[in-house]
Amino acid sequence: MADPSLLHHDAAARDTDAPIASNGTGPAFASAESSSFAQTSLPLRQAPRRGAPPQIHDVTEKFTRACQALDVGQLIKDEYFTLFESIGAIEIMDAKMDSGFLQPGETLEDDFDLLAPLLPEELIGIMDQLLSYEMAWHTGYPLSQTLFTSVYIDRLLYPEPKTIPQAQFYRGDIPDDKRPGTLLDVLRAYCLALIKGCDYVIAKIMARDYFEEEDFATHTYNRVLFVQVPIDVFLRELDASVEMIEDSDLKIDDELRSAIIARLHFRKSFLCALDPECPLELLSNFWPPVLPHVDKVNDTQHLGRTVPGSFSTKIQRRLASTVPPRPIVEVEFKDALQTLKQLCADCEEATRFKDLPTDPLEYQSFLWTFASRQPAPLTYSRSYLSNILFDPYILNAPVSLPLEDVKSFVFHESPILDPANWALSPPRNPLMPKPPRLQFALLIDEFVERVGQPYLDLWVALGQNRCRLRRMLTHVIIAWDMLQQDAVFVDADLVVHALQLNIAEEVMDSPLLTWVYIKKLWMIEKVIILGFEQDIYLPDEHAGMYYFLSLTAGKRKDALQRCAEHLSERCIQFVQKSRYQDTNDTDKKLAFIDSELQQATGISAFAKALHGFYVIANYLHLLPCPGRPFSTEELRYELRMKPFLTLQPPEVPPFEEFQTALQPYGAYSDPKPSINDDLKQEHSLPWTNIDASLKAAKDAFADVKKRGAKGAKAKGVEQAWNKETQGMLASCVALGVAVAGLKSAVKNTELGRGPQLKVELPTVDKRYVGGWVVPKIVKE
Amino acid sequence: MDNSEATSYVSQFIGQPLRIHTSDGRVFGGQMKCTDKGRNIILALTYEYRAPSAEVIRKAVEESGNPSAAVNWNSRYVGLVVIPGAHVKKIEFEESQLLGQRSGVVV
Repeated sequence: MADPSLLHHDAAARDTDAPIASNGTGPAFASAESSSFAQTSLPLRQAPRRGAPPQIHDVTEKFTRACQALDVGQLIKDEYFTLFESIGAIEIMDAKMDSGFLQPGETLEDDFDLLAPLLPEELIGIMDQLLSYEMAWHTGYPLSQTLFTSVYIDRLLYPEPKTIPQAQFYRGDIPDDKRPGTLLDVLRAYCLALIKGCDYVIAKIMARDYFEEEDFATHTYNRVLFVQVPIDVFLRELDASVEMIEDSDLKIDDELRSAIIARLHFRKSFLCALDPECPLELLSNFWPPVLPHVDKVNDTQHLGRTVPGSFSTKIQRRLASTVPPRPIVEVEFKDALQTLKQLCADCEEATRFKDLPTDPLEYQSFLWTFASRQPAPLTYSRSYLSNILFDPYILNAPVSLPLEDVKSFVFHESPILDPANWALSPPRNPLMPKPPRLQFALLIDEFVERVGQPYLDLWVALGQNRCRLRRMLTHVIIAWDMLQQDAVFVDADLVVHALQLNIAEEVMDSPLLTWVYIKKLWMIEKVIILGFEQDIYLPDEHAGMYYFLSLTAGKRKDALQRCAEHLSERCIQFVQKSRYQDTNDTDKKLAFIDSELQQATGISAFAKALHGFYVIANYLHLLPCPGRPFSTEELRYELRMKPFLTLQPPEVPPFEEFQTALQPYGAYSDPKPSINDDLKQEHSLPWTNIDASLKAAKDAFADVKKRGAKGAKAKGVEQAWNKETQGMLASCVALGVAVAGLKSAVKNTELGRGPQLKVELPTVDKRYVGGWVVPKIVKE
Repeated sequence: MDNSEATSYVSQFIGQPLRIHTSDGRVFGGQMKCTDKGRNIILALTYEYRAPSAEVIRKAVEESGNPSAAVNWNSRYVGLVVIPGAHVKKIEFEESQLLGQRSGVVV
């Protein structure tokens, strides 16, 4: 322990340094530092002084007497120790809580002989069981309930070996006749590679944003998973094992022999694929070879035989563990293999990311589509993709990614982004105003830097699982909302300088604000659509939420419209100035804006049609509506809209407006009588509104489809994109059918008695597109 | 011992290192956080110590040929624990002698 007075002295010396250091550049700082050390006495660290060993006093008797004198209910406790904290305490001697508690006659450890020779069948059985537990770990269970229950793995890791040759199923010297046989050596190599694989998985997951114990348990209970040992050591062990098994002197059945070899090959290919050091351009070579081995493992699984005692919960007692003992997780081998295959497929898909064109919007489409994969990608696969995305090679692309995004919407061939602006030098006299073109460069640089964090936040959110994505997006939206307020000022400055240069007509009105707003609205739409996909909203809320979605998408449509108009103007300007190359380029950009515009139009119109349909269904009492005695519609509305209430400009319509849109004929329970006639007439307002919206949606989606994935900047995920666009069209058709069904049913019945029909809401796997709940009309 | 005397006696152990022996022979060493009339004791930052089994001792003696061969106790970290008064067999106070400072606890 350092002497306190010396510490103080040192701190004071640093304090006096501070002004010098902050004025100086690098070298000046260094010299200031060294000179200060020369002036003061050297702040040497002192060796810790060893005190006398602690003195032990037996206080049992007096302590007990004192306790007895306490009042009932009186607690003697640390001031800062709360009841809340005490709940986390583990009760000693309680079999359910205390992992160290032994039942009468129970021994601390199993007497399982790790060096007992194995049969080939048993080797296969253990390997397969290990694989099952490995996959259980991948799906979120802690190591203590999965792989760390293996007595073999436990022995390899504890007591901690200093070198790999020391990592054996025994420690120290043993007589030659007890040395493990070939099959045990093979198991050792398999286990070592498996452990290293876990280390790689943990490294990759911890490198990115994840949620401990919710997504994945990285806890290793103070066991070191050969962190320092390079991969080739493990590959060598596996190769040597393959040779040992292939050796014809080893007398085993050929079927078993090839089954064991298949498992070793699998382990080798899997470990290589997990290697986090693998360079980006080689990534895609490593996943495809894993799958054929997995199939071979699957085909020979029946040959294995389990070894009782080779896995034990008792090992949990020795893991530094502050949680109650938990049972070993039961996993079917079949399910584990399914998980493994999914993991390989997802990671292979993720490697395609590096081949995408350098365009943030392509990245965004890819991230969104990856997160939508069914079944949902595991934590490891998601980290795998994030690690590619956040690779310096991708992230530090020669172009600024957020700026590329801005360029796709506004600033086409704009003088504001002219590279020459960045080549200007500021005037020598700092009091002179900077040239306006230089100001453009400075303002854009400043804005790009400001965008950085919210932009990354969006990407981080897109790398989470779907449920968390929805919740995180609501926070990201707030950050973008603040960004939007800042963009206003940058836009104002841009205009001032554009006026100075007399090029105001070449600059769009509020370009940065428009861009931020488009992105923000896109996120709000996604939050609502994800809400439908995850069945957050109850059937009687569908009308309101689709109404809100329609409004939001409508606003995005308007903003995109402004971009498109500006672009068209620019085109005309270019033609007038005979800049034909620029005209062509702008046309290409216009294609993307148009595609986005049609998409937003389609979403807005289709949501409007669904809103109309659900309103009618509500009036006809065709949707289940739970009793809610303790809340009002207004409070429920506020609650639903909570994430968006603070946004500027206000996105959430006032409750009265919302109410009017949802209940055009008054309360559902007591509608105006005119509704009867309106619904019976085919050409009344409610029906024609739905039909018109539906037609507009169909046209818009057909247009989007025609423009293709490339136009929407989703070329990298063309297949999924086509499927979704097709799904939107199919949803439109399905809604048309439902509307027709409802129309004809209503015509033939009196409203009060209720038509003899039922509205069926398909579950998420039965919908054409997850976030679009298109009802079905079933006649009873 | 009256209540106030008892309270001040027990209070001085708060935050101090105690070793508690339980009925099954284990020893728990940690900082005392809380106790009550039932002598239930909550320890924080606790380690569990367990004597080696007879089997292990026999092996160690056999292998070294020395009847007084040293065998380590097993220990592991268990964090925050509550030891029910019924299972407390012995309470020891561990007075640190570091830098010659006294803890000021009257035992």
